[in-house]
Amino acid sequence: MAQHSDPVLHVDNLSISYKVGRRWIPAVRDFQLEVCPGQIYGVVGESGSGKSTAAAGIMRYLPANGRIEPGSRVAFLGEDLAPKSRRAMERIWGAQMGLVPQDPGGALNPSIRVGEQVAEILRRHTTLDRAAARERTVEMFRRVQLADPDALLTRYPHELSGGMQQRVLIAMSLATSPRLLLLDEPTTALDVTTEAIILDLVRNLIAAEGAGAIYVTHNLGVVAQLCERVVVLYAGEIMEDATVAELFAAPRHPYTIGLLNSIPRLGQTKRDAALQAIAGRPPSLAELPRGCVYAPRCPLAIEICRTKPPLEAPAEGRLVRCHRWQEIARGEVSLREQAQAGIEDAAPVTGDREELLEVTDLTKHFPVQRGLRNILRGEHPAPVRAVDGVNLGVQKGRTLGLVGESGSGKTTLARVIIGLTDRTGGEIELMGIDVPGTVRDRDKSTLAQLQMVFQNPQNSLNPYLTVGQALRRPLIKLAKVAPDAVDAEIRRLLTEVNLRPEYADRYPGELSGGEKQRVAIARAFASNPALILCDEPVSSLDVSVQAAVLNLLARLQAEHDTSYLFISHDLAVVGYLADYLVVMYLGVIYEVGYGSDLFRPPYHPYTEALVSAIPRPNPDAHSARVRLSGDIPSPRDIPTGCRFHTRCPHKVGAICEQEEPPWRDDGSGHFIRCHRELWDLAERQQATRIEEED
Amino acid sequence: MTRFILRRLVFFVLTLFITSVLVFALTRILPGDVARVLLGREASPEAVQAKREELGLDKPLAVQYVNWAGDFITGDWGTTYSTPREDIRDLVIQRASNSARLAALTLLIAVPLSITLGVIAGLSEGRFADGAISILTLSVVSLPEFVTGLFLINTVALGWGDNPIADRLGWFPASSAIRADASFSEALPAMWLPAVAATLVLLAYIVRLVRAGVIEELKKGYVRTAVLKGLPYRVVVVKHVLRNALIPTVTVIATSTGWLISGMVVIESVFSYPGLGRLLINNAIDNRDLPLIQAIVMLTVAVILIANFTADLLYALLNPRIRLE
Amino acid sequence: MINETAPDARSARWRGSALRSARSTGRFLREILRSPQSALGLLIVLFFLLMAVFGPVIAPYSTNDQSSAPRLSPGTDGHLFGTDYLGRDVFSRVVLGASSIFRTAGLGTLIAVILGTFTGLFIGYRGGVVDEIAGRLIDALLALPALLIALVILGVVRNLEFERGSWQAVLVDNSVLLVIALVYVPIVARVVRSSTLEIKSREFVEAAQIRGESSFYIIFREIFPSVVPALVVEASLRFSYAIFLVASLGFLGVAARPPSPDWGLMVNENRGGLFQLTPWALEYPAGAIALLVVGVNLMSDGIRRAVQRSG
Repeated sequence: MAQHSDPVLHVDNLSISYKVGRRWIPAVRDFQLEVCPGQIYGVVGESGSGKSTAAAGIMRYLPANGRIEPGSRVAFLGEDLAPKSRRAMERIWGAQMGLVPQDPGGALNPSIRVGEQVAEILRRHTTLDRAAARERTVEMFRRVQLADPDALLTRYPHELSGGMQQRVLIAMSLATSPRLLLLDEPTTALDVTTEAIILDLVRNLIAAEGAGAIYVTHNLGVVAQLCERVVVLYAGEIMEDATVAELFAAPRHPYTIGLLNSIPRLGQTKRDAALQAIAGRPPSLAELPRGCVYAPRCPLAIEICRTKPPLEAPAEGRLVRCHRWQEIARGEVSLREQAQAGIEDAAPVTGDREELLEVTDLTKHFPVQRGLRNILRGEHPAPVRAVDGVNLGVQKGRTLGLVGESGSGKTTLARVIIGLTDRTGGEIELMGIDVPGTVRDRDKSTLAQLQMVFQNPQNSLNPYLTVGQALRRPLIKLAKVAPDAVDAEIRRLLTEVNLRPEYADRYPGELSGGEKQRVAIARAFASNPALILCDEPVSSLDVSVQAAVLNLLARLQAEHDTSYLFISHDLAVVGYLADYLVVMYLGVIYEVGYGSDLFRPPYHPYTEALVSAIPRPNPDAHSARVRLSGDIPSPRDIPTGCRFHTRCPHKVGAICEQEEPPWRDDGSGHFIRCHRELWDLAERQQATRIEEED
Repeated sequence: MTRFILRRLVFFVLTLFITSVLVFALTRILPGDVARVLLGREASPEAVQAKREELGLDKPLAVQYVNWAGDFITGDWGTTYSTPREDIRDLVIQRASNSARLAALTLLIAVPLSITLGVIAGLSEGRFADGAISILTLSVVSLPEFVTGLFLINTVALGWGDNPIADRLGWFPASSAIRADASFSEALPAMWLPAVAATLVLLAYIVRLVRAGVIEELKKGYVRTAVLKGLPYRVVVVKHVLRNALIPTVTVIATSTGWLISGMVVIESVFSYPGLGRLLINNAIDNRDLPLIQAIVMLTVAVILIANFTADLLYALLNPRIRLE
Repeated sequence: MINETAPDARSARWRGSALRSARSTGRFLREILRSPQSALGLLIVLFFLLMAVFGPVIAPYSTNDQSSAPRLSPGTDGHLFGTDYLGRDVFSRVVLGASSIFRTAGLGTLIAVILGTFTGLFIGYRGGVVDEIAGRLIDALLALPALLIALVILGVVRNLEFERGSWQAVLVDNSVLLVIALVYVPIVARVVRSSTLEIKSREFVEAAQIRGESSFYIIFREIFPSVVPALVVEASLRFSYAIFLVASLGFLGVAARPPSPDWGLMVNENRGGLFQLTPWALEYPAGAIALLVVGVNLMSDGIRRAVQRSG
């Protein structure tokens, strides 16, 4: 760890409010923090926890309706920022304090060349002239590992991929060697493989520059892998503050414990134990509970929790805001005992069950509009080969997990199977019967058998129909429930997804994200389908809510013997829920195996890269780093031979560029499509084995 | 970029074609017999029949259209129905150049003024300047051109007409009924008031769009990046925000030609200015002169489409996203 | 048993939803009234609406009563706004003119909104080639200024004479209203189309497709409610432009025929060399037009903001 000298930043008693209507809503209360040079301080919390607001308050850059409450103290390099004028702040921003924002696409000016956008900050804060600023920009581009930095100077942001844009922003914020860097969820919008590279970059650059850094994130895995210290926020208040090692090894606050327990770990499956979800949802900032803000959801809450707990220091350099931290520390109370057993499944996963869905040679090519040049030359431009010859099967009552980066074609595959998009070629059979291309051509019984749960609960329910109305239609149309029995059936469905029957009269606007997703699940189950396609059903939910939804999906599957095709970019989530696993890259499947195959070699080199890129919520887990070079190629211009050869760390040679790799089989149902033998792969991948985590 | 331009060019030709069909159809398919309309109720059936043949109305519609369009493209726009029978092309082009002068003068005043006001309003969203500008534009947008026009005549021309200086200069005459072939310097004094009235038409429209553009850009993430680079506010606004906010204004100004032209019809009528609009109302419509109506409408549509096309080109040139495609 | 409970349940549900929509309309109205400007706008529009409805009761003279002396200045002989060059009571004519502007502009807008909504929903939902062609057609129509289209159509049509009571005569009599509808249908259709396109891709629509709902159900039950906010804003905007357009057409002499008390026409009739003698005969109708448009604009501004706020 870096040498700690005088702190770069000292925040004390920071409170920030927003004016909504006529009221001031307290978004952050009594925030405190001290960042030393070379230190990366994690600020972690769920949506609405105030983490980004706290970061904005530190920079003294709030929206027009926000204000920093009197009494707040933000000392930067020993100087209080509060009395500083906007002018004075302009000399600090960019020069001594840099920001790496969340959405790299929107954070760059679309009509200015990226070189100028970086050079501009140098000309503003240093004495460099135009040529020198340009040179320094190229040097910064090189340091953030952007290929061909000279050519990049004259590019516009829309010509760069998200990962490249984020690197430009990091280069920009570090160009003037600032003393403090604020990173506000800089990798949330990126793929896991790109995220891993950016995190490596941030770690190395901060260490090299000796700057202090605040890393705002919702992802405990990122904190574990990157940060030295961490502060946990909930509903605008600090719950706990500790070094990363202490926090993960011995959390003291029930919320921290709940959060850590609710994340599925790599290697954990639904058969081991149900995830420990946190009940309820975060309070509205406009109506905070009187005492401890976490008490309404806390399984350990007792009488005293109705009063506000003080922020106490259980040890040197630790803070916790809980009345019962001592009991927790002594092990007198535990949240573990509430842990439920896993799903009991009669059939062991090794025993095959009858095939429910069979997909053969499925392709989906999107035609590209012909330009004038193409028409003149009589050419047809290459189509986008989103799905390019996929074979897979889903067994009755089982879950098939589908993983891959964005652009791998997994969502297109789901849309083709469900019939929202017509296929270009191939066959889909459901229980041995051929399924027509689109929903228009499918009969009622097929429609009833195939249902879908969408990614974004915000959009999956019609805002103008009540929950009851949303559930009524599939019951009448597909499940053929008699009109007088529908209301009872709606109540039953709601109860099944752990919602009170009164929810039938509510509109989606009155529901939280997790509740909406429960309704969407109830709607999918209404017709009692044989197969449900789940397209990233938990990716937009907070961790604590995500666990409950995953538990629900696992329970309903066991009860109804429903099959899932479960799509996710989160390998831990897929690993938890999936019995079988399929890895997709550029429209083609490269690996098929059991869910548990994720955790031990051999893997396909692509799978290996995905696994090792996951930021794991365990500071001691330092798996060997396999990093992919470059971005996923465009599906319009797919590489020849093995599609992965352009990024493969285990490339054999010319054969990978010329020939399609063969399927290799270990005899137990694990298939890998690679030019290397399985034993060869296993040997090369020993370092990335995932040790069992508790 | 070529792709973008070609697409717009195809649209341009297509729209011109569709409008020409509509304009043609309007004057042929409408209930009633054109020849009858032309000759009046009392004309004998023989006379009507003769007129029909003279006009080629007895041929199939498609043939009529092709003939008409062909003549139009080759510059043979025919002669007016009404007497004295004048050559339509000469007449229309002379009046159109008068309108163009007025339009140019209007744009010269309106564009810089309204962009400035729009930017000020957008930057001070919700504050006093914004409120004042929005009340101004709202009241201007609420007044039909003929009301503002008559108001200007009533107060400025008649109210200040006695002012000796204005009188000597000959500015602000109550009527702009100058000779149709007046030279620019002769026409200029008569053009001020109509130009001001037309400016008011455009003002509200452009101000609102510019304001909305600025407000939208200010919300974008890159503005935060720019501010947190430590750039002075002036630089953030001029270099970062306006660059993006004003690119669409090019299109706005072009699309406002449509507004300008319809405004002009009314304004020319109010001020008796010898432009295309007045020709349309006084000569073409009042006399039911169909060839003249067709010629005026086609010319107007062509002007609007050319303006739109030019705007698309400029937009493509200014916007790197399109330029680099 | 089933026959007894089912309709009951249905009517209860219906009552519930009617109650809810009444409640949300009330909330929406309150939201509009929150700003004093839009409340004022609403008040002005209501004022003119009452004038339009009760005009004949309020007006002391009939439209063409020429019994008074011409060119009386306002206030003389019980002529509140004076008399025009023919001795007609200006106040009565302004009051009686209100109904014609609501009939043409209001009804025209209404027709345009209804037809435009259907067209926009249909082409937006169908998409593909239909959308491509219809979209181009709409763009082409939008390239032409509404006033020009209206002027030409009315200029050609208004002199056609047909037998009284024939359908052509009815069309010609209502030509202003129909022209308003015609020029605004594509504009409304475009707004509805673009919001349909956006809503169509939302997942609740896809969920409906997955359970095999008909296009009719999806368009009207799933998509239409989400289009309504944008539609309300557009309709109020269209209404203000329609008033503007009707007044301009009246002024240019192609909308109403003398001696109709059309405001635009009144302004036209009383100008020329004469208006210096009776400025009031021109100022009051012009003022009425301006006031009404201001009112509608304020109201539509309020509606737009209320829609934005309620998300």
